[in-house]
Amino acid sequence: MKSTEIYSSTTHTWIVLGRDSQKSEKIIDTNQYLIKSNDEAIILDPGGIELFSSMLASLLKHVKLEQITTLFASHQDPDIISSLGLWDKALPHATLHAPWLWEGFIRHFGMDNIQYQSIKDEGGEIKIGKAALKFIPAHYLHSSGNFNVYDPKAKILMSGDIGAALEKNEPPMFVEDFASHIKHMEYFHRRWMPSNRAKNNWVARIRELEVDMMAPQHGRIFKGEMVQEFLEWFARLDVGSASD
Amino acid sequence: MYHQNDATLAIKNVVRVANIIANLDTILQEAKNLSLTAKNARVVALRAGDSAFGFKPITNFIDEFSELTIKTTKSISMLSSNLFEIALSVVRYSDFQLRLNIAAQYTEHTDIHHLQQQGRLEFIRTVKQLESAVMHLEGYFEDILKQMRSAEYIAVTSRVEASNAGEFSESLQSVSNFIAGAAKNIKHAINENLKEISLLKGALR
Repeated sequence: MKSTEIYSSTTHTWIVLGRDSQKSEKIIDTNQYLIKSNDEAIILDPGGIELFSSMLASLLKHVKLEQITTLFASHQDPDIISSLGLWDKALPHATLHAPWLWEGFIRHFGMDNIQYQSIKDEGGEIKIGKAALKFIPAHYLHSSGNFNVYDPKAKILMSGDIGAALEKNEPPMFVEDFASHIKHMEYFHRRWMPSNRAKNNWVARIRELEVDMMAPQHGRIFKGEMVQEFLEWFARLDVGSASD
Repeated sequence: MYHQNDATLAIKNVVRVANIIANLDTILQEAKNLSLTAKNARVVALRAGDSAFGFKPITNFIDEFSELTIKTTKSISMLSSNLFEIALSVVRYSDFQLRLNIAAQYTEHTDIHHLQQQGRLEFIRTVKQLESAVMHLEGYFEDILKQMRSAEYIAVTSRVEASNAGEFSESLQSVSNFIAGAAKNIKHAINENLKEISLLKGALR
């Protein structure tokens, strides 16, 4: 699994882990994010069971196991958090922050040791070492209980499935040309996202934030102008295509 | 060292526990029917009066061991749900070990080695828990088996008593047949479970 540092300051660092060459082609490719600050670290959307081994090995290149104090699951999907039963053994003292809506569901992945910290619908905040992070509501995009993670200092928005692209092989880490990237995103957003109202609310909410980088859970990361281009494109997009 | 086989074996153990639990329902149902039969037989024996004099203590005896069987089966049910939990825990630890071994192929980091050791210890602890629960379970089943041997003996004795009960002979005969049938079904279910337990014990060794 590749790991790339996407932000670093005196207080904290963001690393994206993904493009796992060992994984089966039948499994959707995912981006996992590690934020480390001082002696603490959080994994955002730790991934599925199938990725656990390569994730663990890659993480240990950047942090010690005992530094990983926190996990975050944007929603309940298997590619997001089905590895929980294994992290529960590796990180028995960790806390999982995830939507309150999914607690009873996520516990099905196996959780004897890790503590579940519910995130309320309106969102919340968390500190990892010196990094202050915000949980931004992104309900119905696509999951009915869903959050993004915003880092006001790094100006990074971990956007979960929003901005996701389905590309084969190993695409580059960043979007280089927005227009040519649309074909990899359009079907995903039209089919997976159910609500135009939720989408428009989210766009308005994100426009109030300063975002230099938008980091989705699948595909390439949006940087600089690409973020605004995405917001404009997404605002215009009609979603919920299967209901037509 | 762990292999894919260990994980498969752990899953098979869960299936064996599931089979044992499924058989428990048969045992419990037959034991409840036995208890009901004992109560009916007591009424018939009372109506038959002196001609079924020898049948009354038999009905008390049936009642007694059917209650005992119900009680033992309920204890087994409680132990079984615990058994399920432990068997599942063995599955999870064995999967954890398997995934750690894969991670160890990517890196020689000491944390992985430490997790492997820790996981192995936890795995051994849960396997021992499972072994102990299985031994307990075996003991319970052997108790019921003894009760069923008594039931079969009673079925024979009650047949003799039933033949002396005049016009009530047929009703009491059917009670005897029912006891024999229920004891046979319970014994069959228990023998099936003892076979599963033997396989489970073999797998845990």
